[in-house]
Amino acid sequence: MDPQKQFWQTLTRRAFFKTSGLAAGRIALGSLMFPDLFRTASAQPRSGPTHPPLPGLPHFAPKARRLIYLFMNGAPSQIDLWDYKPKLGELFDKDLPDSIRNGQRLTTMTSGQKRFPIAPSIYKFAPHGQCGTMVSELLPHTAQVVDDLAVIRSVYTEAINHDPASTYILTGNQIPGKPSIGAWLSYGLGSEAEDLPAFVVMTPRWSAKRDAQALYQRLWGSGFLPSRHQGVALRSKGDPVLFLNNPAGVDPAARRTMLDGLAKLNQVGFERSGDPEVETRIAQYEMAFRMQTSIPHLVDISDEPKSVLDLYGPEVTQPGTFAASALLARRLIERGVRVVQLLHREWDHHGDLPRDLPLQCRDVDQACKGLILDLKQRGLLDETLVVWGGEFGRTVYCQGELSRDNYGRDHHPRCYTMWMAGGGIKGGIVYGETDDFSYNIVRDPVHIRDMNATILSLMGIDHNRLTYNFQGLDQKLTGTEARAVPVKGVLA
Amino acid sequence: MSGPLEITLFFGRLHPLLVHLPIGLIVLLAALEILARWPRFRTANANAGLILLLTVPVAVVSVVCGWLLSRAGGYQDQLLQWHKWTGIATAGFCLIAGLLYAADLKKLYRWCLGSCVVVLVLASHFGGSLTHGSDYLVRYAPGPFRAWLAGQKPPPANETKPGDPAQLQAFSSVIQPILKEDCISCHGPEKAKAKLRLDSLEAMLKGGESGPALVAGKAAESLVLKRIRLPDTEDDHMPPAGKPQPNPGDVALLEWWISQGAPADKKITELKPPVNIARIIEARFGKGPALAKTVPPKPLTEVLPLAANLADQLSIAVTALSPNEPWLQCNASVAGKDFTDADLAKLAPLASNLRWLDVAGTKVTDSGLTQLVAMPNLTRLHVERTAITDAGLEGVLHLSNLEYLNLYGTQVTDAGLRQLEVLPKLKQIYLWQTKVTPAVAAEFIESRTDKDQLQRWQDEIEQLKTRIRDAHIAVDLGTTTTASTTTKASAVNAECPVSGKPVDPTKTLVHEGVLIGFCCDDCKAKFLQDPKPFLTKLAALMPKDSKPKPSQ
Repeated sequence: MDPQKQFWQTLTRRAFFKTSGLAAGRIALGSLMFPDLFRTASAQPRSGPTHPPLPGLPHFAPKARRLIYLFMNGAPSQIDLWDYKPKLGELFDKDLPDSIRNGQRLTTMTSGQKRFPIAPSIYKFAPHGQCGTMVSELLPHTAQVVDDLAVIRSVYTEAINHDPASTYILTGNQIPGKPSIGAWLSYGLGSEAEDLPAFVVMTPRWSAKRDAQALYQRLWGSGFLPSRHQGVALRSKGDPVLFLNNPAGVDPAARRTMLDGLAKLNQVGFERSGDPEVETRIAQYEMAFRMQTSIPHLVDISDEPKSVLDLYGPEVTQPGTFAASALLARRLIERGVRVVQLLHREWDHHGDLPRDLPLQCRDVDQACKGLILDLKQRGLLDETLVVWGGEFGRTVYCQGELSRDNYGRDHHPRCYTMWMAGGGIKGGIVYGETDDFSYNIVRDPVHIRDMNATILSLMGIDHNRLTYNFQGLDQKLTGTEARAVPVKGVLA
Repeated sequence: MSGPLEITLFFGRLHPLLVHLPIGLIVLLAALEILARWPRFRTANANAGLILLLTVPVAVVSVVCGWLLSRAGGYQDQLLQWHKWTGIATAGFCLIAGLLYAADLKKLYRWCLGSCVVVLVLASHFGGSLTHGSDYLVRYAPGPFRAWLAGQKPPPANETKPGDPAQLQAFSSVIQPILKEDCISCHGPEKAKAKLRLDSLEAMLKGGESGPALVAGKAAESLVLKRIRLPDTEDDHMPPAGKPQPNPGDVALLEWWISQGAPADKKITELKPPVNIARIIEARFGKGPALAKTVPPKPLTEVLPLAANLADQLSIAVTALSPNEPWLQCNASVAGKDFTDADLAKLAPLASNLRWLDVAGTKVTDSGLTQLVAMPNLTRLHVERTAITDAGLEGVLHLSNLEYLNLYGTQVTDAGLRQLEVLPKLKQIYLWQTKVTPAVAAEFIESRTDKDQLQRWQDEIEQLKTRIRDAHIAVDLGTTTTASTTTKASAVNAECPVSGKPVDPTKTLVHEGVLIGFCCDDCKAKFLQDPKPFLTKLAALMPKDSKPKPSQ
């Protein structure tokens, strides 16, 4: 038949009723199987400060109600901190065997090197706690709480540079545009605090003597989720939130009246357009108003007993340090914030590692111990998940010139160490094992996707079922390419 | 195997299913015959033949199935005999009635049918008694009728409470009532499932099909406890799903009594119970607070809308713990000082569904905590940083499912902590910044730890480790290799340096530290006489790395 005639035939009334009859049936079946199929933006926007969890969530009873994610941006060297490799001592300045390297791609920072001499760690390791986990002398305080930690030595990723790698571990994909883990948790589990956001981020300062890799707002952004789920970053110096306080001459009552009027106008706009971003706008204005009272109470630590401040170390009273941020993290989760993320920078020790790594460790070491002990004595460690780690590991071979007391390490994605503690985590264990060069994983590999699946499952979420339909795909934090599996070995 | 074959049980179990059909049909036949006496309905029994055609085979089949079921055992003998013979009689009369009808002897047929009905009633009654107990129909009859129908005294309203719980007889006054409540109906004098009776100590020690119900002194090996402690979803869990389950306190008492040697005639004081057991007994039989029996929660669909409303109203968070279970978690700490006792009272409609409750840092006081009586399903309770004192803990004592209790920053003292010994499932308790002293906390841990039980488990672990070791076989290949002697070693060359022929392994000699092979004795002798002419040839034949030692 003539193609044009064929085409016109498909547009006859007969053809229309024949196909649409079936289609209507299919749509009806779809709405029976997937009740959310016809969900539209509600006429009444959820503009209240708290938002409830998605229906059906949590998927099962959670072990942890809150998450504190201590992200060590730049990639701490696992060989010098957590992965004890005594045999490397005899291999100083020997070349890394090809059989070990096995074709691992190099960054442009070391690809020009003629040699890859092995740089054993100059730091001593010792067994700690009842479990006897080996921890380096650079983390003496964290070592004291190692009986509460599950140290995972076999985490791996594919990304080899900071931007894609940080984006990968914090948003689930190397390509930007996806929501961060905190945004997913806020979206799925909702927020409970009325006067604080569900997801709060802090970026404390660092002590290493070099410039740090930049952080990007997308690392705590909301991606394609409604933007009310993005992380709210508290500034480390000066006012935690800029322009939070009313300017001179504006009193709270006037502010309230203004906000009510604004909300009405936005409501009109929402009813006209149905744009969910308007919902976010209304909610954020409300949240900002409440934060005017809640933030000053939060950052005023004069009500903390001295014994608690001492746990975190001497820097806890200096705003903007990691220790101060750790204390604020505990105060935030006590006030009902769902996810607190601390991003500590400058662990990227390509050179002069012995100069910079101890400084970085001093920033975080005692604060981590303080946080764990403080949560524990308040009975909160049982309900809070604490995660520590970076975006990848560091190489066993030296970058740049190797000497007995100075060396640097390049990026290494194939294995590195993270630790978890708290709700649902078995303390005092080491999970996974790397080879003698801390280069390859020999047992129980854990992809960063699996780490994220584990975090979600401890918070009561099946990572396969928390999805958001965007661009025709049911997007998940753990991605759709490969199957992520929560790590059972670290669960209590 | 000793028990009936599974196929026997399969058909046997069809008996309660099938038997109701002939019962209905026989009654129908009788009714139709009676109805046919009225002129108006004289055709009522016209189809009796057709009905009989169905009734007779089914009656016979159900009797056969019943006989198979009786082989499975577990039924009290006398009652079983009565039921069996009246049942067979029913089927028999039914069969004869069928034959009489077919032979058109209508009057005899009616008499036969009548007798069939009479034995049917008897058989059915005995059958019902077998399954449900002889007082099944009358136990809940209205008061005056009960005594007359049952011919016995109604069961007493509550057990008499003696003055001092410590003077009670351990078995007869404490343990037996527990068993009577939840176990005897299926494992007692009237019915003994799996041939097990739990109404006397001898019967429990003797046991049933699966073995003795208890091993005196060994709670871990006692089947009765193992079955009670199985998860509810397991098939072997006792009591079966749907029947009343024992309290956690009762289970703890049972375990303690068994581990004390399951004595039949000792008093509670003579057995020196640890503090938590003593408290449970006091609570049950004395004047202490009774541990609340589990109150079933309402379905989730019913409470979720209520929860959402309350959450909005009170500015707190109330959410489900998971969509498949009826449990809720309530976080009131986010409301801070705005949340008071009155607000806690408003949660009453959700009380039986609450699993986790967080009132930390709120204005809840001791009187507010009295409302916890209505929340017996709580497993986690946060009351830290509130103004509660020891008096408030009264309300907590009823929570028999509580596993986690956070009291930091409250006015709780040592006396308050001691009260908490009665909570059977408590696993974590937080007491920072309270008035509790380390010594009393240590005592509390001591009283809750059954050191004997832990020691027994340690011993079990050691035994299991030994068994694992014994299960392995050790094969030792040694570490040193035996020095090779010339007889065992092989020559370094494959061809004879004299003749070029293949080497005979038995014709060898050592020349300058190297074992050289020859094809025959003649070549060997020639080489011995004068090796020099053959050395270059030899060098070529030898492998590269074995060089002859330089001559002295």
